[in-house]
Amino acid sequence: MKPLDPRLLRHARAARQYVALTVVLGLAVAGLVIAQALLLGHALGSAVQDGASLDDLRPLIGWLVLVVAARALVTGAQERYAHRAATRAIGELRAQVVERATALGPRWLAGGEGPRVVTLVTRGLENLEPYFVKYLPQLVLAATVTPATLLVVLGLDWLSAAIIAGTIPLVPIFMTLVGRLTQGRSERGLRVMQRLGSQVLDLLAGLPTLRGFGRERGATRRVRELGQAHRRATMGTLRIAFLSGMVLELLTTLAVALVAVAIGMRLVYGQIDLVTGLTVLVLAPEVYLPLRQVGAHFHASTDGVAAAEQVFEVLETPLPERGSLPCPDLRAATLRLRDVSVRAPGRDVLAPAGLDLELRPGQVLALTGASGGGKSTAVSVLLGLLRPDTGTVDVLPSDGPAVPLADIDSADYWRQVSWLPQRPVLEPGTIDAVVTGADADASGRLTDATRRDRAAALTGLDEVVAALPAGWQTLLGRGGAGLSVGQRQRVALTRALLSDAPLVVLDEPTAHLDAASEDVVLETVEALRREGRTVLLVAHRASLIALADQVVEVRSVDVPADADLPAEADAEALR
Amino acid sequence: MCIRDRTPPPPPPAAPTPRPSRPGRLGRSRDPLWRAVALLDVRPARVALAVLLGVLSLGSAVALGAVSAWLIARASQMPPVLTLSIATVGVRTFGIGRGVFRYVERLTSHDVALRGMANLRTALYQRLAVGRPEATLRLRRGDLLTRVGADVDAVGDAVVRGLLPIAVATVLGVGTVIAMGLFLPAAGLSLAACLLLAGVVAPWLAARAARTTEQRAASARATLSTVSLGLLDDAGPLTVQGRTPQELAALREADRELASASDAGARPAALGALLGSLATGVATLAALVLGVPAVQAGTMTPVELAVIVLTPLASFEAVSVLPTAAIQLQRSRAAARRIMSLLDSAAPDEADGAPVADSDPARTALPGHASPQHDVPALSARALSCGWPGRDPVVEGLDLDVRPGRSIAVVGPSGAGKTTLLLTLAGLIPARAGDLALDGTPVAGLAHEDVARSVVLTSEDAHVFETSVLENLRVARGDVTPNEAVDALERAGLGSWLAALPDGVDTELGPDAQSVSGGERRRLLLARALVSPAPLLLVDEPAEHLDSATADRLVRDLLSQRSERGVVLVTHRLSPLDAADEIIVLSGGRVTGRGSHTALLASHPGYREGFAREHEAPEEP
Repeated sequence: MKPLDPRLLRHARAARQYVALTVVLGLAVAGLVIAQALLLGHALGSAVQDGASLDDLRPLIGWLVLVVAARALVTGAQERYAHRAATRAIGELRAQVVERATALGPRWLAGGEGPRVVTLVTRGLENLEPYFVKYLPQLVLAATVTPATLLVVLGLDWLSAAIIAGTIPLVPIFMTLVGRLTQGRSERGLRVMQRLGSQVLDLLAGLPTLRGFGRERGATRRVRELGQAHRRATMGTLRIAFLSGMVLELLTTLAVALVAVAIGMRLVYGQIDLVTGLTVLVLAPEVYLPLRQVGAHFHASTDGVAAAEQVFEVLETPLPERGSLPCPDLRAATLRLRDVSVRAPGRDVLAPAGLDLELRPGQVLALTGASGGGKSTAVSVLLGLLRPDTGTVDVLPSDGPAVPLADIDSADYWRQVSWLPQRPVLEPGTIDAVVTGADADASGRLTDATRRDRAAALTGLDEVVAALPAGWQTLLGRGGAGLSVGQRQRVALTRALLSDAPLVVLDEPTAHLDAASEDVVLETVEALRREGRTVLLVAHRASLIALADQVVEVRSVDVPADADLPAEADAEALR
Repeated sequence: MCIRDRTPPPPPPAAPTPRPSRPGRLGRSRDPLWRAVALLDVRPARVALAVLLGVLSLGSAVALGAVSAWLIARASQMPPVLTLSIATVGVRTFGIGRGVFRYVERLTSHDVALRGMANLRTALYQRLAVGRPEATLRLRRGDLLTRVGADVDAVGDAVVRGLLPIAVATVLGVGTVIAMGLFLPAAGLSLAACLLLAGVVAPWLAARAARTTEQRAASARATLSTVSLGLLDDAGPLTVQGRTPQELAALREADRELASASDAGARPAALGALLGSLATGVATLAALVLGVPAVQAGTMTPVELAVIVLTPLASFEAVSVLPTAAIQLQRSRAAARRIMSLLDSAAPDEADGAPVADSDPARTALPGHASPQHDVPALSARALSCGWPGRDPVVEGLDLDVRPGRSIAVVGPSGAGKTTLLLTLAGLIPARAGDLALDGTPVAGLAHEDVARSVVLTSEDAHVFETSVLENLRVARGDVTPNEAVDALERAGLGSWLAALPDGVDTELGPDAQSVSGGERRRLLLARALVSPAPLLLVDEPAEHLDSATADRLVRDLLSQRSERGVVLVTHRLSPLDAADEIIVLSGGRVTGRGSHTALLASHPGYREGFAREHEAPEEP
């Protein structure tokens, strides 16, 4: 494990400035520690040996007061900036991880990475705070105070310097040895603890379900077992992790003891004077103190470093290549899927398998098929959120050659798309702003009101709004909190109607709605068709399917577990 | 926070009726930290051992400082070497003892805390499991994530990083002050003052700094976790809507607020650190300034002067961790407050007679708690009103009878309260009015387990656990064999899905069943209901996300298992309801029609219309 990963400095700007400040303060601390030891040694030595009075010692004590005050100020300054820098650096990393994870796409997140990233972002990253606040400054002091004090000891007494210099190399050697042992266990421990933690959460999240079956008591034993497993896993890690601390303490305190004994013996024979002896005795622990502190915070730092490793893992996952071509005008362009297959994650199924479709401008196309057949996956492919394992996705402009969707600038493509997923995602804001996509204070909002109300009447949102005390100005929380799923669906439908996007994708729009409310969806689709927009529907209900100009069935095909993805010929056979 | 509420609105906080506090160790304390620490249920002997080891370890360090100071000062007087031999041995012993004791102490204290945390997790789960169901029903995953994970850890940390270091520092500080006082009383007093400055004032400042930061950071942190969860959960839709940049900006904004909050706390924190460092220096200076005149006056030997000047340097190590300890206690207290308020909101109201966790043995003795007869269980509702506590009832005046061999379908528009009705029938939320009885015994008076033995609910948002398919079915009955599991999955229409799974019924399902499609999830839940031993099944929308043919086949199959079970089914689909014995049509919170499929087609215009709509369009090609 690297004590200071250069990637950390590369990714977090706040960390760079902080390290620079810490180095400056570290040099100051080194100077002050040495001054304090020399002054104290002289003052105490002359008092003990020569019976110096307070008046004799006045200048020395005056300087000591100054040094003590300066050390206090430096300590305060370090504290003043450490937390701030840590918070900023963690914030920078968090934003980058979330941004990267979002860019890596829904399939990557659904493949088990999502909850792990959530844990990392909400909890794991916080482990970097002790790393920045406690560990890093001590690491810097180990690089400044330790060599500086050792040099001074060498100038005073070569034998003590030799004892110290002899033990110091043992410190990194043992630390590396123990660190090697620890690293694997700590990373594994972190993973085990995360898994056990998520299992307890899973049980709690499922508590209402367990209660529904009257089985909630049975799981108590499981929770206890998980707790014990967690303790065993953690203690196993700690037994080894704390070893490094013990080796450090043993080496350093024993060395100080040896220096003290060696000085004592030579004092008896007058081979060394008391002032030197006392100064070296005060300095000897200071040589080791930063090293000991590094060891003491080593455990805290391994959590931080392990979290950082996870951060780099996410940040270094390559992004799928991005297209750069402008997107043709979808009002006139056809979307074409040819022989598209996607392997379902963790299952030996191609869903969809060998899907062909052509979505022509102004058409209503319905995707049907059994559950699990890959309808929603097909939508993800068509939206460019997911690259198919085989097959092609092209945009065919009215005039010109086909352009692969992968080569098109996604942002430009998505500007022309309005997508209503199974669970509608609404931004926080007033219903009015969410539906019209306008900021509350945007000009021209009033002229939109009639159009908005017409659309709302069609989707049945007008009734929902009428029943709310604040009407259109009702504030929605994140994710549309404050409305039921069916009501959220109506908000989303209204928004789709009001958007100018030429392509509207509706994924099971009648789910969460009963037969009466279903009419609303049918009328919405009709209205979209009248406006000449292209509509892609994922549909189960016959009434909705009947509306479509074109119906495409999405099917899945089982493939053997160890088979490679079908080549073109195999895909032909599969169909 | 209203923003995070979910569709089932939260019931208002429990009525503020004074409740006799539960007896138990430290249980009467009002401080949430002590209440939570009491739940850790740590053994006092283990704690005492950890403190002793800590004192021995840091005591070795102080002794090392004192003895080596004595050794060197004495040696400078050039005595016979033999007089120094005990000191040289002592120096080496203390040098070794420090590291060894420290290692054992750290292991002991962590073991104490981890045991406590396991106990706390179990207690938390246990109390939620028997507490008011609506408290758990409204827990959201995001909240759980912070609550259970981090908060339990924080309470455990209160022991390792808070209480134990404080105990060690107190014992050691008192000991050192007394020892120094024996050489020179004034030096003992000045050391005591400096230790108090570093061990009480500095930690107080540090804790205040942390409180300032945390109070200001609380809302920023909440926004941070909501926004990151939203961004990661809805990555696809947000990207397509082009809203990712706005959400990332909201995330950065929250992080900026967090940074400014930590700035606000940095000032007192810096002052605390400054004072701590100052105290160490001043203690040494004071010992020197007080000791030199004492030596000149002859009340103290020069060797003792060296001891009282050099020992304080070592004795501040124990108090140097106290600022961290104070901050830890504060964080732990906030976490404990969240845990305890969660537990309090779930604590059963003694007034409504629901059984309390730790009154198990007493419960069976109470009148009105008789177990229902199991041979012919029948659930009957008379003039039943259902609704979330604290809200208007959504269904009123409902009569319903279900027993094995009888199937009832409940239909009605969205929001008609069908799901609330099922939760009420299952005894998971109390009936608002009217009677609900299982074999003539009022459900309100029965233990939930006894109700669940006869009546089982599969709600539409039931949880799929992060474990194997088989274990997910075993949620309903612990001894489901793999073959039974396969049967149930096939009956639920999951035969081909199962065949495609790499490890069959032993296949692990991902977190929150994200690798399972909506329709597969529904049928998995149905299969789970099918393996349940309960004679009465309450099923919520089993056919959602399914194509109409599959949906109808499933519903029909479920409704027609007459001989075995009674079924109450909530559904949108009307076509397969010819298989139901009785259909109840809900609208506007009232029963607007009931009877058989044919009778309702003839008599209920709304039902007829709905049925016609399902059939007006041709089935999919």
